[in-house]
Amino acid sequence: MKSGTLKVVLMAIGMLVLATVAGRASAADAICYNCPPQWADWASQLKEIKKNLGLDIPHDNKNSGQTLSQLLAEKDNPVADVAYYGVSFGIAAKNEGVVEAYKPANWDDIPDGLKDPDGNWFTIHSGALGLFVNVEALDGAPVPTSWQDLLKPEYKGMVGYLDPSSAFVGYAGAVAINRALGGTLDDFTPAINYFKELAKNDPIVPKQTSYARVLSGEIPILFDYDFNAYRGKYKDKANVEFVIPQEGTVVVPYVMSLVKNSPHPDLGKKILDFIMSDTGQAVWANAFLRPVRASAMSAEAQSKFLPASEYARATPVDYGRMAEVQKGFGERYLNEVR
Amino acid sequence: MEKRELPFLAVLAMPVLAVTLAFFLLPLVRLTVIAGSGVDGLSAYTAVITTPRYLESLFATTVLSAAVTVVTLAISAVAGVFLERNRFAGRNVLISLLTFPLAFPGVVIGFMVIMLAGRQGLIGEITKFLTGDKLVFAYSMAGLFVGYVYFSIPRVILTIMAAAEKLEPAREEAARSLGASPWRVTRDVILPALKPAFIASGAIAFATAMGAFGTAFTLATNIDVLPMVIYTEFTLRANIAMAAALSIVLGIITWLVLNVARSLAGSTVAAAG
Amino acid sequence: MRRTYRFYAQLGFTLLVCSFLILPVIMSVMAGVTENFFKGISSGVTLRWVVEVWDLYADTIFLSLVIAIACLACTIVLGIPAAYVLSKRQGRVARMIEELLTLPLAIPGLAIALALIITYGGFRDFRSSWVFILVGHVLYTLPFMMRSVLAVLSTADFRSLEEGAASVGAGFWRRFFDIVIPNCRAGIVAGALMVVTLSVGEFNITWMMHTPATKTLPVGLADSYASMRLEIGSAYTVVFLIMIIPLLVALQLYGQPKKKQAENFDDLEHLESRTAKSAHMRSKS
Repeated sequence: MKSGTLKVVLMAIGMLVLATVAGRASAADAICYNCPPQWADWASQLKEIKKNLGLDIPHDNKNSGQTLSQLLAEKDNPVADVAYYGVSFGIAAKNEGVVEAYKPANWDDIPDGLKDPDGNWFTIHSGALGLFVNVEALDGAPVPTSWQDLLKPEYKGMVGYLDPSSAFVGYAGAVAINRALGGTLDDFTPAINYFKELAKNDPIVPKQTSYARVLSGEIPILFDYDFNAYRGKYKDKANVEFVIPQEGTVVVPYVMSLVKNSPHPDLGKKILDFIMSDTGQAVWANAFLRPVRASAMSAEAQSKFLPASEYARATPVDYGRMAEVQKGFGERYLNEVR
Repeated sequence: MEKRELPFLAVLAMPVLAVTLAFFLLPLVRLTVIAGSGVDGLSAYTAVITTPRYLESLFATTVLSAAVTVVTLAISAVAGVFLERNRFAGRNVLISLLTFPLAFPGVVIGFMVIMLAGRQGLIGEITKFLTGDKLVFAYSMAGLFVGYVYFSIPRVILTIMAAAEKLEPAREEAARSLGASPWRVTRDVILPALKPAFIASGAIAFATAMGAFGTAFTLATNIDVLPMVIYTEFTLRANIAMAAALSIVLGIITWLVLNVARSLAGSTVAAAG
Repeated sequence: MRRTYRFYAQLGFTLLVCSFLILPVIMSVMAGVTENFFKGISSGVTLRWVVEVWDLYADTIFLSLVIAIACLACTIVLGIPAAYVLSKRQGRVARMIEELLTLPLAIPGLAIALALIITYGGFRDFRSSWVFILVGHVLYTLPFMMRSVLAVLSTADFRSLEEGAASVGAGFWRRFFDIVIPNCRAGIVAGALMVVTLSVGEFNITWMMHTPATKTLPVGLADSYASMRLEIGSAYTVVFLIMIIPLLVALQLYGQPKKKQAENFDDLEHLESRTAKSAHMRSKS
């Protein structure tokens, strides 16, 4: 076969495939940064959005840090319409000027401490940080009940926590541990010392969500949110437990923003409105998160959480201050904890 | 004849040069500029030496890549020459199996290392059965090392086999007839003849290992390799300048090594593969 | 044939290396078809994870194929002429060009991606399309196509063939299209397989450059391993393997260029008669 024919054949195949794909690939109507299918059950939320608004939004597996970085890198010509991240990243995004003020539907239902006064970011749901434990993978060791427990040799190689310098849940964990061990947002020394101690126990430090690894037993104990643990327990029927450590922990809101100069601002607004609507908020409740509009939480969903007496130990912090000191802590962690 | 052909050759070269200029040279130049115009200015470049975290990472990455290259060359030399020289049932299957992982993205290799050496891994189960103690090394340097060797072997072994094919049996015959032991024949005839292939493929393996990202991303070890540090800088509030500076430094080092290797190997036309 | 101790020792070693490479793959495949990885194969064999992968990630698979084929087309159009030019010219300029073209192999993928985003990230349509990723892939795979073709072009057989063609009066373009390209077919095929294989598996560059709407297979794979059940990530790997194995087998079979002398001279004769015919026709008019 002459080379000319070869080229023609190749082109033909290429065209054919292109034509087939062209229909599929242009299916995205709007882009959300950090809408991972399995985290907080965004898969269901995106399905509801498709059902109710007719919008196709692809999944996206960034974490909060990557989301902010992409927004900053794409400042002049954003790709995303809406962004989802931990509260401190939302505050940082506002400071960097990459998000736009927008007050979605049911704005007044959001408590004051959980939203930016102008609407640059607002809480859609929150979770409590604790220990996500795969009981069977503990090899007979007792389920830990406190942060200090994890420093014990019987949990060597079993503890995992997301990178505090890059993932919000990692940073939230650090803040929780810091406060539990007597530190304040101005002094992270207790947390740094804790991580240094923990380093001797061979921890695993992934950079992205590791839900799958807890279920598979690869990471028996993970610093993670209650909603992930409940999902494992009730949806995937795994033998997992959620533990709120004795020394106390934090409740953290996750927020969303409308991206500035986004490709489809009207669609972005519609999406945010929907997420704040009854239907949207109910999705979070069913996924074991606390929707910011408390009315959306059904009694049935509530019954699956740990009792309120346990949750008394999970309290909020000054999120604004948390955002301010995040970068400094990230630097300190990277430099001191090896 | 050569002079007359020049304009035609220029026309042929035009498309590729245009593409390279627009999409490679220009962006790299911009990267260099951006690296030097961040908060730290030009000192971002020297930061790789002055900041302990970066220096350690650079050191760790270089040592790791070098170790991986040496081990891969050794393994590939033995297996490659053996496969080239001998014909037996199933030989082609073995060759296919060895070049198989060429296409695997680093992420898959990372998870395979976890399957081998993670908490629930095969090696853990075996060692627990044999000694009662689980051996888990997926999340340490050892795990990273194993992963890197995994994707380096296919790349190197093809080149070595191609070079082994061109070895002249006459020289080995001569050595043997002079009374040299098989080991002496290997050491003094075969290995020196393969040296250019070693250097060429070793350089590629080293370059690949230095820039590898996917495997480290999955394995989350304590000591970060430089590509992971670059990635962290990019996600740590989009510290693009520092990420750019570190990338340029990494690129320069890799390129230097490749150049040294090429001058040692003495050929300007690299063989296929 | 006598099998010595050394033979068996080396065979054993080679088998060990092979099992090191293949065992994890088998484990991964098994995990992808097992009902529950934690419980092991005793929980049952199922294809439901593969089906779920198809539901979730079919478009990433298509996109990877499209990009790979487009990448191949680009590297053919760009790389073959480049290889020819480099084989004809030996001067310093030519060597510098060769250096430049193989530089993307030395620069880490992350850096190339970063550079492209910084420079072209502002063009939103370009940035959000798969062509953006294609650019990165072409830069990375071009040296492989070029080298493969160059290796064939540098052989003594080839040079004499070209000289033969020139001596019967064939012009530059006639020589290029009728002699050069058909005769480095083996190099093109080997290079093509390499390009497609590398493009389908490319991660370093693509990870930085992709948007949620332009995910390729390796990016989707990383996603699924991070946030889905291990069975889904493994099932995805199974799908990936099904795609890649035929390519690798072909690479293995056709990857060693062994030209037959007879084919070369067929082309030469063919060219001779055509040149003679056109010369004859010219003289007539």
